[in-house]
Amino acid sequence: MEIKVALAGQPNCGKSTIFNMISGIHQHIANYPGVTVDKKSGFFSVGDIDVEMIDLPGTYSFSSYSLEEKVAKEAIINENPDLILNIVDASNLKRNLYLTFQLLEIGVPVVIILNMCDVARRRGITIDSEKMSEILRCPVICASAAKNEGKAEILDIFKKTDEIKKNYEEFKINYDELEIYISEIEKAIKVNDELAISKRWLALKALEKDQTIVNLLKADNGNIDEIISAQRDKFHDTFDRDVESFLASFRYENADVIFHKCVNETRKGELTFTDKIDKFVLNRWLSFPILLAVIVIIYQSSIVFGYKLTNYTWPIFAAIKNFISDITPAADISQIPMITDMAMWLTNSTIALLNYLPIFFILFAMIAILEDVGYMPRMAFILDKVFRKFGLHGQSTLPLVLGGAFVGGCAVPGVMSTKGISDDRARMATILTVPLMNCLAKVPFYTLLLGAFFPKDMSIMLFYISTVTVLAALIIAKFLTSTVLKSRETAPFVMELPPYHMPTFKGVIIRSFERVWIYIKKVCTIVIAVAVILFALLQFPGLSTEKQEHYNQEETKALAKFDRAVKKSTYYDKVDTREEVAELLNLYDGYRAKKMGGSKDVDEKYQAKNPDMYKFLVPKADAEAKKINSALRKLSTDRNRILREQKNDKIESSLLGMAGRALEPISQFAGFDWKINVAFLSSFAARESAVATLGSIYESGKESGEAANADENLRPEERMAKNSGYTPLHAASIIIFMLLTPPCIATMIVVKMQTNSWVWMCFGMFFPFVLALIVSSIFFSISLAAGISGLAAMSWYYFILLAIVVVLWFIPEKRINWSGGIKGSKI
Amino acid sequence: MHLGLIESGNSCKIKALHAKDKLLQKLLDMGFVVGAQIEVIREAPLYDPLELRIHNYLVSLRKSEAELIEVEPWK
Repeated sequence: MEIKVALAGQPNCGKSTIFNMISGIHQHIANYPGVTVDKKSGFFSVGDIDVEMIDLPGTYSFSSYSLEEKVAKEAIINENPDLILNIVDASNLKRNLYLTFQLLEIGVPVVIILNMCDVARRRGITIDSEKMSEILRCPVICASAAKNEGKAEILDIFKKTDEIKKNYEEFKINYDELEIYISEIEKAIKVNDELAISKRWLALKALEKDQTIVNLLKADNGNIDEIISAQRDKFHDTFDRDVESFLASFRYENADVIFHKCVNETRKGELTFTDKIDKFVLNRWLSFPILLAVIVIIYQSSIVFGYKLTNYTWPIFAAIKNFISDITPAADISQIPMITDMAMWLTNSTIALLNYLPIFFILFAMIAILEDVGYMPRMAFILDKVFRKFGLHGQSTLPLVLGGAFVGGCAVPGVMSTKGISDDRARMATILTVPLMNCLAKVPFYTLLLGAFFPKDMSIMLFYISTVTVLAALIIAKFLTSTVLKSRETAPFVMELPPYHMPTFKGVIIRSFERVWIYIKKVCTIVIAVAVILFALLQFPGLSTEKQEHYNQEETKALAKFDRAVKKSTYYDKVDTREEVAELLNLYDGYRAKKMGGSKDVDEKYQAKNPDMYKFLVPKADAEAKKINSALRKLSTDRNRILREQKNDKIESSLLGMAGRALEPISQFAGFDWKINVAFLSSFAARESAVATLGSIYESGKESGEAANADENLRPEERMAKNSGYTPLHAASIIIFMLLTPPCIATMIVVKMQTNSWVWMCFGMFFPFVLALIVSSIFFSISLAAGISGLAAMSWYYFILLAIVVVLWFIPEKRINWSGGIKGSKI
Repeated sequence: MHLGLIESGNSCKIKALHAKDKLLQKLLDMGFVVGAQIEVIREAPLYDPLELRIHNYLVSLRKSEAELIEVEPWK
């Protein structure tokens, strides 16, 4: 037998822990088409019964105003469950019963699960569940998911589903004055016979003008709108009350009746644990230091500690990389097969992103803990006033911090954590500003530039870089919310501050895994697709025939040099053909790479693999082998130089290189040459590649011989300062561009996930790009004309942004999108 | 008088709601029904949202919204 169970409850009632307790971890997450709210399903068996359990989003009610409520309601209508499990927070019974009454009326048998009974007991609340069951005529189970209590009873209910359904009789509340209007509508509407939902409930919802239900009824009842309006008006005229407030009051009165009959509170009026903690956490003077401490802890444990962990995970990825490089076709001196090139490119792009997994895992775990503990809404409570001034919301705090409000964060979890923001306009503004924060991968880029051009003023520049992003984000958020996002709905800040709770280990782990898994899936699909496109853009049209000819000659020269050096060796017969030399060369490079990578028993492996050639790799006392070894070393250096030059040439003549050149006429105002443009374009795949691309471009071995060798010993930043011809002002302009530049692919994908719109994803890509180009052009051109230094220009930029923020702060807020009331009146 | 005028630590009783549509529905769902008792616990550190206790749970509300709730002191 199969049964379908829907899990409903108010937010913070512990629904997820109940879900995890009953279902284990057999679950999948389904996104409803068109919305970003998750619907989770779990599949498992109890005896011979197969259970599908649907976890609905937490809702306070079943009205039509919020996305979660709509999703929950539609799921109940469409999925047609056999049972509704209503999870109720036992320590907050009255408000939770408000939803219970709405669920009872749907027409599907309801089972009430009093969760967190242990917490309630601790707070001196005892609930007479038998009495409650008697009054509400439905099973009531005491449970505590955090302590694994109540599981057996719930599974028992599943076994009795048939019996429950057989004995079920529709639950009705007598709404006194409203009754005649309900029955009027009930009489007037026709519904599809297959619909298992109570007709009375539909009528009631219609009377509440619930848009989802009205639309559902419209299919069979053309004139439903008129009937509803007529009945609503009649009710309003007779009793001078709105249906909505009448129903809400009525349900609360009913909840009050249950509360007084079934609940015994022994410690009423005493300060709860939560009250005591809040005295500190929300204290006017202590709240900010505590908030700062929490942020520092998150930052330290996830970004700093997580980054250290990547030292341990990196060898795994390096091994995968080595494995792929082993199975792809080997290079023939300076000719690398395209398939090998592409495989390595894809591997590098993917592992560059997967490398952050430890950071993400810790970050997601920290978020889950903060959510469970109940600190998240308090964070919003503390900072709401600041953010509201700029069109954001108190709940924007965490996303911005995770994105890297200080230097070093990641926009992916930042954007993902915007999910809970109830205010749609602020949520969109947050999603679009989080990628402006300084992510971890931008740090090496800044260090490179600061090291090269601002060695003396590094600390002040770092201070500017790390704080100016927040200023820019506030200004941009204000701009977006008063322009493109203007018509978006805002939501009132009516937010529950739930009691503090100990998070459960299992719940935290499950949720972090879930979110990491989503990330992995995205990385492995879309990111790879984009990497392929970028590869093609960097590969084609490829080198011209003359250039190719030039490199072929270089190769022949290098080979001839090697041949001369080893001709007199006794081992000459081992290395006298091109194939043998190629094999030896690949062996040598592979050996060195693995040796440097620190893998174990490299020597044994290479000795076993090719004992003949191994002696050239590690010649020991053999003088003849030493001769070959030193020639081989030179050949390897030559080969790498040719490969590097070839690659640079290829980038220069590639489509992306052309795009970089095509952008030069515009980007020159910002002081960028085509190399910087290419670096920025390629950094789109993953931020890290900006440094890599710049690095490889400036590695140019233009000088030959001694000079090149001296260059090899320079650190990248020194090489860049020496070879690029840039001034600190150029560097400052590049930094400003990077501060505003578009997010990486992984971020764009989560932006697509969170906004559920390709349009917003593209906007999130092009808006910062254009803005960054304009801002850095103005910055560079004016500073150049005024003849000020890079540091001075940066200081000007910083203080101008600061001034704008201060001005915006004092601009009075516009009224929100509701009106009326008794503002300022003294009644 | 309205809820925004109640000082921290004091209680009041809802007389009427002057909000509309979405805000009204949200307030009703959170238990702001006529006759309900509200205790103003504290202001946020920056003086805006308020922390309230209603039906024995904690909720925060911006002052601009609190002004739409008509109350009378709780005796």
